Amino acid sequence: MAEPLVSIRGLTLEAATRRGVARILSGVDLDIGRGRILGIVGESGSGKSSLANCLLRLLPTNVTRIAGQVDFAGADLLALGEPAMAEMRGTRIAMIFQDPMTALNPLFTIGTHLVDVIRRRQPGLPGAQALEKAEAMLRHVAIPDPRARLAAYPHELSGGMRQRVMIAMALLAGPELLLADEPTTALDATVEAQIVALLEALRSEVAGSIVFISHHLGLVAQLCDDLCVMYGGTVVETGPVTKVLARPHHPYTRALLACEIEADDEGRLVSIPGEVPDPVFPPPGCVFAPRCPHAEAICHAEVPPLRAAGAGRTAACHLFERLP
Amino acid sequence: MLRDSLQVLRQVCGSFAGACGCLIVLLVLVAALFAPFVATHDPDALDVMNRFAAPSAANWLGTDHLGRDLYSRLVHGASVAMGVALSSIALALVAGTALGILAAWLPASGERLVLILFDVISSFPSLVLALAFVAVFGPSTLMVVVIVAITLTPHFGRVARAQVLALRSAPFLEAERILGAGFGRIVLHHILPNILGPLIVLASMDIPVVITIEAGLSFLGLGVRPPLASWGVLIQDGYQFLSDSWIPVVVSSLALAVATLGFTLFGEALRDAVDPRIRQER
Amino acid sequence: MMRGETARYLASRLVTSLLIVLGAMLLLFALSALVPGDPAATLLGPQASPEFARQFIREMGLDRPLHERLWIFLANVLTGNLGVDVLSGRPVAGMVLSVIPYTFILTFAAIGLAVLLGVPLGVFAATHRGSIADHVLAFISVAFIAVPSFVVAILLLLVFSIWLDWLPVLGGGEPGDWADQAKRLILPTVALSLGWIGFIARLVRSSMLEVMAEPHIRTLRAYGISERLVTYKYALKNACIPTIALLGLGIGRLLGGAVLVEIVFARPGLGRLIYDALSVRNFPVVQGAVLVVVVLFVVVNLLVDLSYSAIDPRMRQAQRYARDGGAG
Repeated sequence: MAEPLVSIRGLTLEAATRRGVARILSGVDLDIGRGRILGIVGESGSGKSSLANCLLRLLPTNVTRIAGQVDFAGADLLALGEPAMAEMRGTRIAMIFQDPMTALNPLFTIGTHLVDVIRRRQPGLPGAQALEKAEAMLRHVAIPDPRARLAAYPHELSGGMRQRVMIAMALLAGPELLLADEPTTALDATVEAQIVALLEALRSEVAGSIVFISHHLGLVAQLCDDLCVMYGGTVVETGPVTKVLARPHHPYTRALLACEIEADDEGRLVSIPGEVPDPVFPPPGCVFAPRCPHAEAICHAEVPPLRAAGAGRTAACHLFERLP
Repeated sequence: MLRDSLQVLRQVCGSFAGACGCLIVLLVLVAALFAPFVATHDPDALDVMNRFAAPSAANWLGTDHLGRDLYSRLVHGASVAMGVALSSIALALVAGTALGILAAWLPASGERLVLILFDVISSFPSLVLALAFVAVFGPSTLMVVVIVAITLTPHFGRVARAQVLALRSAPFLEAERILGAGFGRIVLHHILPNILGPLIVLASMDIPVVITIEAGLSFLGLGVRPPLASWGVLIQDGYQFLSDSWIPVVVSSLALAVATLGFTLFGEALRDAVDPRIRQER
Repeated sequence: MMRGETARYLASRLVTSLLIVLGAMLLLFALSALVPGDPAATLLGPQASPEFARQFIREMGLDRPLHERLWIFLANVLTGNLGVDVLSGRPVAGMVLSVIPYTFILTFAAIGLAVLLGVPLGVFAATHRGSIADHVLAFISVAFIAVPSFVVAILLLLVFSIWLDWLPVLGGGEPGDWADQAKRLILPTVALSLGWIGFIARLVRSSMLEVMAEPHIRTLRAYGISERLVTYKYALKNACIPTIALLGLGIGRLLGGAVLVEIVFARPGLGRLIYDALSVRNFPVVQGAVLVVVVLFVVVNLLVDLSYSAIDPRMRQAQRYARDGGAG
């Protein structure tokens, strides 16, 4: 494989909670290929959103330790100074958030938001021109009557329209790396399909790579090239989507796949027996061992390393070669 | 219960501001309760030969325009302030809690009416209203207590109502109702003990407000009447004779300021200690 | 749907306001009917001749039945007739109108100063959360809030007028002499606004912190919008809504404080007018002036409500803030 755009090595994130120090991410290794769409799936609390936040270095205030390397086109994002990191945001890296309801400031119009994002790249661009550019981008993401929408406040738009506005913001930034953190979770099924269709139609326009975070394997299969499965703050399996889904190595991926077929209305995964591991007191061996139907003694004792598992694939399981 | 209170008190004194507040509150309470023993002189004893005396071993804080001992008058002022504060807050607590519980159990239209009443009272310029009352009935300590109690009633009423609403769907109340417990029994045995905590916090936060209103009205000559030693009266006495000596007015103003500050600090520390939502944030 | 809700909200506020005014009118009327003893004797003093007292009673309509008097009173007030000052014979409405500008200027100057100082202090504390300056500001805010404004007024007067002799002591200043009036406005304004500086600084700090943790602020940061723009353009506007609510709710207390401060500084104004009338038990003037204060208060509250919709396109949010602010 060619040189990846982003190369994450040993990324560890700890945060203070009332019960003690929680390990949000532990030793994540992950590559994001240039021009590819990487889907990250996992249950809530698996650390997938935190991973995205690490890439932007927008972390909550209770984070106590961040370690490892995040190499982005030759620069270690974790080692950059805050001004250099701020320089990256909105130019080379951009993000679409989960809930378009709260991701836009309710007291400012869509136009104000978009103009400030445009001015980020082109400071001093006259207001009329910036607004024109914003209008063109709204039209581009298929928002009807874009001129009128510029003067609208976020609450006057539907959820789907707001998410289109967020996508327009991301496209205006023209990033090399676009992070989409569960962009369709807060939307109903019809609107979700429309947004996914829009993202598919627009994928050629994002010059760099896209990270699409979801807990919905079906969506990821539809949209993504690569897949990364996360569980309990670790990466358990990676590889090309079609190959992983055709024959998953990790028992957790298999369980996910099995659940997908019987997911409930909201697409939440309901039927993996057992509970998500406690981030304050993680199990000593493999994080999935307590819920794994195949677990053996070694699984409860040793943390399995992420190992090569065939062409472009990795898996973190002691036993995957021997699984049925 | 006692252990809980001690625990809360320890938490209150944990911060610098809370400890300061606690100390000041304690001093004021001791002065108020044991005024005759804490004071060095009779607060009303005139000594005209010794007017405007500077602080000395005999008169710790000096004397006023009639030669009365300022320190002793301030100590007795604490009794007046605490008397007015506690009695008016007790009145407001009872009236507010009753109205609040009533509002929570009334049908929607009745509840709205009570809430509008609360809105009207609490947003009213109460000091100005007090002036109208005084114009009719003349100034008196009782007047101050009544006016303050009316102004504070909505505070307690709103909190009591909110607490009852939060409790109403609690399973244990549901069970009581199914077992046929009457309204009175539920209120006495379940609601009151549960809402008392927040109401006490609110009461402690209202003390400095009451002290301020009482002192303000008495300063205007519209509240506690001289020669009774209210802090407001002391400030007024000093203010009138500012050209003779600045000591009385400064001493009594500072005493009032320190007392209100102390009670405010204490009240806020108490709220932080009791309100789990805020405690979580810290 | 949104517009319907806004209209309904404003309508309910309007009804509440009218109820407050009506309630105040009834209360004041009831009080006037309750004046103990013979009203003529109370108002005119024991020296008044019996003929004069009788004439006075007839003129004031005090010999009529109560319900008739109530109608006359309500009708008079609605037509702007607040009655006549017993002592000087001047109409009360005119007396009130002549002093209102002084009270207006004082309260608005105090609000202005409080906002001008309180907002930046609050923003500073929020952006420097946990620093020594933050703790010091927190303590100063409590002190400002806790100390009664008339005590501040007296101490300011003592220090700046008497000891330092920098500023004139008393009164509202020579009519027409703007510089003199402005000079005499300084100390009362400071005394009245000090508590509000503390209130606003604390509220702005806490609402800034709350807003800065919201997702929409994270969005802006994720797009590299400068921290200055994020703080002062975006977050500050959100943080201002509870502050406006506080000012709306506090305007009654502010008017009350203004009364005391006016009296300490012997400034003309509504407070002074009421106080002077009180000392001679001139009830019609007290009644008229108190009524005007109540109406002023109601009008300002309505204006505050309207200003929400100017700032916040979502009225419901504003309502929520206003309600929550009411507890504090």
